[in-house]
Amino acid sequence: MTDVQGVLPEIIVTLTAMLVLLGESILDRDEGGTWLPVLTATGLVAALVAGPFTMAPTPLFGGFLTVDTFTTFFRDLFIVLALVATAVSPSYLRRRGLPIGEYYALILFSTVGAMTIALASDLITLFLGLELMTIPIYVLAGMQRRDRASNEAALKYFLLGAFSSALLLYGFVWLYGVTGTTDFGGITAALRSAGPASGTTIVALALVTVGLGFKAAVVPFHQWTPDAYDGAPTPATAFMSVAPKAAAFAAILQVFGALAPLQADWTTALALLAVVTMTGGNVVAVAQRNVKRMLAYSSVAHTGYVLAAVAAFRAGDSAVAGVLFYLAAYGLMNLGAFACLLFLDTEGTRGATLTELSGLAKRHPLAGLLLAVFLVSLAGIPPTIGFVAKVFVLQPVLEAGLTWLAVAIALNAALAAFYYLRVVVHVYMYDAEEGAPRLVPSWLLQASLALTAVAVVALGIVPNALYAWALEAAAPLVR
Amino acid sequence: MILSWLVLIPILGLVPLLAVSRSERAVKIVAVAVTLVELAASLVVLASFQVGEAGFQLRESAEWLPSLGIRYELGVDGISVLFLPLTTLLTAISVLYSTKTIKTRVTEFMVAFLLLEVGMVGIFMALDLFLFYVFFELMLVPMYLIIGIWGGQRRIYATLKFVLFTLAGSLLMLVAIVAVYLASGDEGHRTLSLPALIAGRGRFSADFQFWVFLAFGLAFAIKLPMFPFHTWLPDAHVEAPTAGSIILAGILLKAGGYGFLRFALPLFPYGTQAWLPAIILLSVIGILYGAIVSTVQKDLKKLVAYSSVAHMGFVTLGIFVLNLQGAMGAVLQMLNHGIVTGALFLFVGIQYEKTHRRTIADLGGLANRWPLYTTFFMVFTLASLGLPGLNGFVGEFLVLLGTFAFNPPTGLGGFFWGPLAGIGVILAAVYLLWMFQRVMFGPLREAYQKLPDLTPLEVACALPLLVLTVALGVFPQPVIAIIEPSLARILALATDPGVTAAFR
Repeated sequence: MTDVQGVLPEIIVTLTAMLVLLGESILDRDEGGTWLPVLTATGLVAALVAGPFTMAPTPLFGGFLTVDTFTTFFRDLFIVLALVATAVSPSYLRRRGLPIGEYYALILFSTVGAMTIALASDLITLFLGLELMTIPIYVLAGMQRRDRASNEAALKYFLLGAFSSALLLYGFVWLYGVTGTTDFGGITAALRSAGPASGTTIVALALVTVGLGFKAAVVPFHQWTPDAYDGAPTPATAFMSVAPKAAAFAAILQVFGALAPLQADWTTALALLAVVTMTGGNVVAVAQRNVKRMLAYSSVAHTGYVLAAVAAFRAGDSAVAGVLFYLAAYGLMNLGAFACLLFLDTEGTRGATLTELSGLAKRHPLAGLLLAVFLVSLAGIPPTIGFVAKVFVLQPVLEAGLTWLAVAIALNAALAAFYYLRVVVHVYMYDAEEGAPRLVPSWLLQASLALTAVAVVALGIVPNALYAWALEAAAPLVR
Repeated sequence: MILSWLVLIPILGLVPLLAVSRSERAVKIVAVAVTLVELAASLVVLASFQVGEAGFQLRESAEWLPSLGIRYELGVDGISVLFLPLTTLLTAISVLYSTKTIKTRVTEFMVAFLLLEVGMVGIFMALDLFLFYVFFELMLVPMYLIIGIWGGQRRIYATLKFVLFTLAGSLLMLVAIVAVYLASGDEGHRTLSLPALIAGRGRFSADFQFWVFLAFGLAFAIKLPMFPFHTWLPDAHVEAPTAGSIILAGILLKAGGYGFLRFALPLFPYGTQAWLPAIILLSVIGILYGAIVSTVQKDLKKLVAYSSVAHMGFVTLGIFVLNLQGAMGAVLQMLNHGIVTGALFLFVGIQYEKTHRRTIADLGGLANRWPLYTTFFMVFTLASLGLPGLNGFVGEFLVLLGTFAFNPPTGLGGFFWGPLAGIGVILAAVYLLWMFQRVMFGPLREAYQKLPDLTPLEVACALPLLVLTVALGVFPQPVIAIIEPSLARILALATDPGVTAAFR
């Protein structure tokens, strides 16, 4: 087992990204529109296939990387999300005249970054991955160059992202100062032997929490989310609402896993942040008329649910598995919900408003059904993956003795159901209005979303395999 | 396997239904056929049920989520076995009646109805709390669509209110279910299987039971609905299409009462004791409040809806006086209310289809034109007000009997609550007879001169309910024999926390 073999999937995705860039300069626009997505998907599938051959019992590259079950779970999750994002994009890109090669290359680079976070066993690698993941996303957000909202989204996202990266890095430095190492295992050992937290460790902890909180869009560090999500081209929004969030939580799990000896100090803080995040996201989402913006705020609320499971870290395996399962579930359903907006041709980067969605089920029954399935799942109603994911979060939260947090999750879920179902009301119960946006259903969009919706329901009925996998992936982290 | 078939038939029925979705007529025929097959299957279950056994029968059990010890576990006892045919019968009637009244998006309507049926039969068979919850929630989305798409003027408001009330309660119940799961054993030995939980209920401390019972109770109280959680009910009923109202009143409300009996009482005896005074108080308030508010209703459908609040008050009262007469009365009241109120909603719907009026003041004199309609409606009205000889009487009488026998060591006893509940029975006679008089008697309006009496289809829908109303009123004994052993066992579990062993 050589070091290089261990990162084979990352190498494949990187090479694919380069090939895509090359391909764009060779192929003309029409050919590129057809073949670049195919190339992207092929590369991603190849990386998926290569994954199982890379498990390494020992750390690679001198202890900077590890390939364990945790890594492979996230790797596969990121690849699947990138695949779905690739499949739903082509017709939108063609319609809007966006640079096709750059789009796919950025998605691929961002995916490599996310995968690197899952590989990291060291603060430095983790930070590297985090930056590699977010920088392409800044560009994706600003891709619609002539659109003011898109520009605003990119700039806002970039400035706040850079700010949070600086905070995070500063926190890592403090952490290094306290423990004398950047290696996760070393940090845990040093903290454990140091006993109760001192003032300096608390500063490090606070800085790291804030920095990672920005990346995951935890209230009150979420301000960039609605504008960035709203201003980005819709297929890019679909991707950036899920993969970076999952990656941010991979980072949170890695870092807070390493900080496990300080649990007494961060459990309550994270639990409080979780409640504030889910409540804040949901309350503001209720007031939105623009569905894209509503989904942006709702994704903040979902951050809160995941954070609740992180706060329950002391419950052990089941807490980490709850996080992983929820991220997978959230990835599928949220990507699906955003991508359903691609059925409608709205001007600029703007998403459809509630009234523009009126009567969608009559105009295009499949689109209406798909959107309804994703929204019902986001609301956490059985038999969908969103429901089991909530159960898998509630279980560790209660096991960790955080009953009030579990009650907060339940009440928030009821509140969230209100605005999700309001969309269903418009889709199914109203008639289409004059001047509703044109429908642009491409077969690829329909097929990929139908497949995702089937997965959302099927995994809601038989989540066994996925949950068992999540439990397995959780094991390396519970040290 | 027969119980699994009950779950599967409506799902499998979707295949032919969607296959013929191009023809509305074919869709209707398939939908009616599927519900009739389901009805037959539920009668097979009833026929193969061993009367006199207290335990669960026709058990099916398979692993579902092994890592969490959650099982796909089905079974019926003397209580649930009767709700299955009630559910399938009312569904078949609703679908049959809807073939005439639903004119838009017929395929979607039938799909929603079949999915609804899956949830409804599921809750009465599930022996695993997780499975029960899934079925409980499965009923939600189809009913949401049924009210929201095919409902009346204010359907959107009504359906959102219905869903949000229900969800708020049931999500708290979900938290409680997970809490029960964690308390059920050490890691690796946890379960949500009802028999196992009851056998190990000694692990649930009194304090724990207090809170968990509250969460379960809220979910069931909202569903039932108990005063003061009833406010969604009149809106939902008024706006729902007729078939939706029939199912809502006939089955969905029963999920609450059934949930109390099946899960809350046997699992949490201390919780039951702790919350019992509050529930009895709210039940009696519900009985009186529902009756008084019914009296002043101007809208016929709303009147029937509020009368349900009063009738459901008898159910919770009967359950929580914790003696056999009371609980038996409660179960019979649930069954009979399903039949009678389902029928009342059917007749209000039929009448509305013909006259397009639901305001009582706009009606009148219909008896002159519709002899057949009048006869049917009369019987159901009398059954609803509890006339001896019809089924409504049996349940209310037993509940009152049980209430008078209620004798707690502290607090107010049966001789305080009994007469108050009795007033509710009298008030029921007042508002129902007064309603009947205003709607059916008096001078007939010009506009209604030409309206036809019941059609054969409407008679076919109403006849089974009429037969059951009379039969169960005159001869309730076979039903009581089916219920009694299982109910006695649940009461033994609820009244004595020491009883755990020998629960199958």
